[in-house]
Amino acid sequence: MSVEEFSGPDSRAYQKLIRHTLTDRLFHWGTAASVLILLGTAFFPIMGWEFAWVSIHWISGIVLTLLIAFHIVRASFWQDIYSMWVSFEDLKNGIDLARWNLRLSEAPPRTAGKYSLAQKLIHYLFTLVVGITIVTGCLMLVKIDTSWWERDPYWLQEGTWGIIYVLHDFGALLLITMLMAHVYFALRPEKLHFTRSMIFGWITRVEYEKHHDPSQWRVDTD
Amino acid sequence: MELFRISRNVWGQEILQGMSWDLLPVFFGAGAAFIICHMIYRWLFAPKDEVDDEC
Repeated sequence: MSVEEFSGPDSRAYQKLIRHTLTDRLFHWGTAASVLILLGTAFFPIMGWEFAWVSIHWISGIVLTLLIAFHIVRASFWQDIYSMWVSFEDLKNGIDLARWNLRLSEAPPRTAGKYSLAQKLIHYLFTLVVGITIVTGCLMLVKIDTSWWERDPYWLQEGTWGIIYVLHDFGALLLITMLMAHVYFALRPEKLHFTRSMIFGWITRVEYEKHHDPSQWRVDTD
Repeated sequence: MELFRISRNVWGQEILQGMSWDLLPVFFGAGAAFIICHMIYRWLFAPKDEVDDEC
């Protein structure tokens, strides 16, 4: 992990510790842009804003598919895939957090590793929902004409297409709710350091020590 | 409120076309309701010590 220092008396406290590399940030914002374009091209015409949405929609879908494929390969072979793994310790911390929030316990829960249990769970939920929309969307590509293939509406039976449409639509609708919650948490004052790290890449050492357990997420220092 | 969009094929059989778009405000409203409930909870009821409890 890269480290950059500020100059000044509090230089150690305000060391910049890289939480997200440039590649990860480009992936995140690329994914965000394609999902927003997909949702816009899906729902604006339904809401009455008529425009030629089909080509923009399927091309954005292919871009999203390629981005996700890139992320799966990168996370599997070049990154610490276990940083997103839900461990027994995560579950225990989750229970402690719930008890603390419900005032059943006075002891605040332990801090998490790089990602909290909630962040891991929302990642899994996005994986599931985006995965469903990608798989069904790729199947639906068969029903449109492109430069590379001609449409074949009879490739599957009507009933099967119906199920594919329902899954695709349900995933898209659910993404609206999930994105609203995701953006809300990103804009909450106590979460802004996470958002900043997804824009600029870094958190300060103070934030690292306050929000993360160094035994679960170690950063290299000078 | 309909849950699904259904049409009929040339033989008069019902065919599933997808989720009903009447649900669009429902999912949007669910997101808004979640945000409002969470904000109220944080303002009025949540313990004041700051921990990472959300995504």
